[in-house]
Amino acid sequence: MTTAADAIAVPSSAAPTPTRERFWYPYLLIAPSMIVLTVVSLIPFLYTVFLSLHAAKFGRVTDFIGLDNYIQLLTDPRFWNSIGIAVIFVGIAVPIEFMLGLIGALVLNQNVRGRSILVPLLFMPTMMAPIVVGLLWKIMLAGSWGFFSYNVLERFHLIGNTSVFASPDLALFALIFVDIWQWTPFMMLAFFAGLQALPLGPYRAAAIDGANGVQIFFNITLPMLTPLLAVIGLLRFIDAFKVFDTVFILTNGGPGIATETPSILANKMTFEFWNIGEASAMAVLIWIAFFVFCNVFYQVAKKRLNAF
Amino acid sequence: MTQSTASSRSSGSLFWTGAVIAYAAVVLFPIFWMALMMVMPNDAMFARPTVFLFKPTLDHFNYVLEQGFYWSLLTSFVLCTVSTALIIVIGTPAAYAFARFEMKLKDDLFLFILATRMAPPVCLAIPFYLIFAKINLLDTFLGLTLAYMTFNLSFYVWVLRSFCRDLPAELEEAAALEGWSRAQIFRRIVFPLLRNGIVATAVLCFIFAWNEFLFAFMLGGENVQTLPVSIPKLITSQGVRWGEMAVVGITALLPVLAAVFVLQRHIVRGLTLGAVKG
Amino acid sequence: MKRRSWYIAAAVSASAMLSAGPAAWAQSFYATAAKPYKGTTIRVLDEITPLQETLKTMVPEFEKETGITVKYELLNHFEVINKGQADMLSGRGYYDAVMLHGLQLGPMLSAGVVRPIDDLVKNGKLFNPKLDTADFIQKPYKSLSFYKGKQYGFINWNYNQVYWARADLLNDADERAAFKTKYGYDLAPAKTFKQMLDIAAFFTRKKGEKLAGKTLDSDFYGVVLEGIKGGSTFGTLWRNFIQNYGGDIIDAKGQPTFDTPQTVAALTMWRELWKYAPPGIAEYSLVDVPTVMGKGIAAQTLAWSDFVLGIDKPGASPFAGKFVYGPIPMVEGQKGERHAEAEPSLEIISKASKHPEATFIFLQWLVDKKTQAELIATGKGGVPIRTSSWDLPVIKDSPNKSLFEAMKSTLAVATAKPKLPKYYELYDALSGIAQEVGLGKLSPADGAKKGQAEMLKLCKTCLL
Repeated sequence: MTTAADAIAVPSSAAPTPTRERFWYPYLLIAPSMIVLTVVSLIPFLYTVFLSLHAAKFGRVTDFIGLDNYIQLLTDPRFWNSIGIAVIFVGIAVPIEFMLGLIGALVLNQNVRGRSILVPLLFMPTMMAPIVVGLLWKIMLAGSWGFFSYNVLERFHLIGNTSVFASPDLALFALIFVDIWQWTPFMMLAFFAGLQALPLGPYRAAAIDGANGVQIFFNITLPMLTPLLAVIGLLRFIDAFKVFDTVFILTNGGPGIATETPSILANKMTFEFWNIGEASAMAVLIWIAFFVFCNVFYQVAKKRLNAF
Repeated sequence: MTQSTASSRSSGSLFWTGAVIAYAAVVLFPIFWMALMMVMPNDAMFARPTVFLFKPTLDHFNYVLEQGFYWSLLTSFVLCTVSTALIIVIGTPAAYAFARFEMKLKDDLFLFILATRMAPPVCLAIPFYLIFAKINLLDTFLGLTLAYMTFNLSFYVWVLRSFCRDLPAELEEAAALEGWSRAQIFRRIVFPLLRNGIVATAVLCFIFAWNEFLFAFMLGGENVQTLPVSIPKLITSQGVRWGEMAVVGITALLPVLAAVFVLQRHIVRGLTLGAVKG
Repeated sequence: MKRRSWYIAAAVSASAMLSAGPAAWAQSFYATAAKPYKGTTIRVLDEITPLQETLKTMVPEFEKETGITVKYELLNHFEVINKGQADMLSGRGYYDAVMLHGLQLGPMLSAGVVRPIDDLVKNGKLFNPKLDTADFIQKPYKSLSFYKGKQYGFINWNYNQVYWARADLLNDADERAAFKTKYGYDLAPAKTFKQMLDIAAFFTRKKGEKLAGKTLDSDFYGVVLEGIKGGSTFGTLWRNFIQNYGGDIIDAKGQPTFDTPQTVAALTMWRELWKYAPPGIAEYSLVDVPTVMGKGIAAQTLAWSDFVLGIDKPGASPFAGKFVYGPIPMVEGQKGERHAEAEPSLEIISKASKHPEATFIFLQWLVDKKTQAELIATGKGGVPIRTSSWDLPVIKDSPNKSLFEAMKSTLAVATAKPKLPKYYELYDALSGIAQEVGLGKLSPADGAKKGQAEMLKLCKTCLL
């Protein structure tokens, strides 16, 4: 079997000659993916848009009402409450996951022994099903009988006579904490892999120049990692906004609507109130917001950070 | 090959190793406690004050086996393996094409792929349910496999594309000059280099599918019940069966953990290939 | 000679049939009625509680008797609502019969997915004349299954709430003496809410204090209630408290009447009780409350009686056998009948079902006297839908007399929830207020005002 080494033996040319395959070849390669995604993604999404423009209570599509669902949604304080909660959630959780992940990766990079055992173990929180993660933290933090609640919070009277998930202020932070617990390993692993691949050249040069650790980090490591940070960051940002399983198990948006993220609100609108039209409008609105954001991010990251 | 900004004196290495182990012990404690719950008898569970020493019991395992939860395990396994395999077969050429070729509307098509992942799944669940109900795909393997493609295929193509971009193009060009066909180039040059990236991304896709709850619950049923969906069944009239939930939860974790253990070198190498320039 | 033996044979078989009794006659009714539908398969969705688990073991009897195959599927409370409704509303019709809690009828009827059974009842070939629907406990039955002249089913489950307390604490000599000294009357299961509050305050103790002679190794609470947003929290508040205090959420015309002095009084009592509840009360669902009682963390509760059957038995709780039950408390000086929370529920036939006749036969069999008697005997108790069930030996001679007496008192006054199409939205808003008032984040007066405002935002007249 020829390896890359053999291929290198082939002389590389100066100017690439035009390839001989037909112009539609690349389209053929992407065709299956495009078809599948059109069927399973685009079509349901178009149906969602269709539903959002109609009165669709109980799933029965009745009259065409244009943008009424959207107006109803945009003037509903409950909708804006959920957006605000998502912004707080993502705004706190993702940067912390970032930093902890980066620190963790840097530590792991310090010639830690037994990495092949430690790294998969540390990755466990991300590997667990979100619903199981929710149950796990319910076991830990449930009022009265949660392990952590009883042994730490109640014993030291840390939060008065209430439980973490019953307190409107604490509940959201508890959920943020769970998200950090769950996703930091993901960041850690990605950054660790990134660090492992960095070339040694610049570091040797910096050592010769007498640069200290901090300078090396900010001037060499960080810039080289930026493309990776951008990709991972974007994915994590989108997913954190859509968080559902853990919140559902732990608080289901409560107490009151103090932790009602957009997904939880959408779930209520869909499966409790059966306001399919309005829930669909919400999906479209969030999608539009993301699309704009990602477009901007993509263009900026492409130019400035060389990320895409 | 291993990059280190501190010299690898054994004392420094021991210190960092110790720090990592301590961190792991704290962070992983809840999982450890859940594992303990698998064999904790019901009266010791959540006892106040906490009971640390107890007589282990196999009741929870028995219940889980009696109730046939292994079917869910099998279902999850088949579903995730098949859908991941399909994604690899369909997605790899697409990722490669996006990386290598000039196409009209390339950026737009690529953003389209990312866009399919942007709507909250909760909102898509009902349109999916309604459509599937009409075309009779509810509670079928095919149905759920298709549904999983929604988020996993786009993720796969998106991530693998950056891996493809970082493969040395000169090797392929040189081989092309030598008269190698596209297929040969792919098989003998690209694929071996890309293998780790494929493994890394595919494992992540598998994990997402394995752990997915909402679509499996809404679009599945008696015939197709994945492991996460089987968990609410343990909220019974007699209260929540926590011990059994611990069994199912840890059981769900183990195959993934094993896969990551075995494949970790590929994963790490794969993730590095796709990410860093330079 | 031949003719005489024929007469003898006829006489013998006739007397055999007659001696088998009316039960056998009814048995063969279903078999006869099912003849045209032999070989059909129907799918039935029901909720999982100890009662249905017993019922599932009996379904093969029906299959054998009639030749109709029944796929009887059980899901938990939250799933049975989600999945059942999704199936009906999408028109998919995977399930021929779906279990609906009374509260679901408002939305489902307004969505038009429930098949009325009047035509089937009038059908002499399908309807069993010996079904004896007058034997159903009438108040829940009539308020549940009939609406605007149409009938939608029978009655399958009579979920009801009862007052539940720790008998060992209430009977302890030292505690009784201390209580009498402090409050001036004898310690006994609460008959009024004031008494319930006194008992709650009395028994709330910290770790290290004594309770019935033993030193507590963790905090103990005088009462536990459902407090989660959702579940049946608001139902508990509405029908046990608000209605007994003389208020209601809607008037006879269906207009919201939440902001009244009676509601405020009820909310005040609700808030006071929450002060003596475990810190996690705002997270407790209908499933958690019985568990908390079973673990001996609280002294009293108002809870669903069917859960009791799963907790108050040896092996399920260390305090099994130490509980006492009673009717839902009333307000001191309350005139008129008591009100009590119940959730009569029924199996309905989905409009999308392709086998309504075969399903109808099964639904009758489910509520038939014989089936119910066997169900309650096998399950060692149950929640009766028939008045005659109170006389069954397993209930009449049950060691847990107070439980069935309590159930009886609740079911005598129980009604199904009014048919409100926007039930879920109303419930969501009002249970949020129940939680906020309970936690003390909203005063009862403000809670009443806010509740009224939320209701008016949703509907000016809320009845179907």
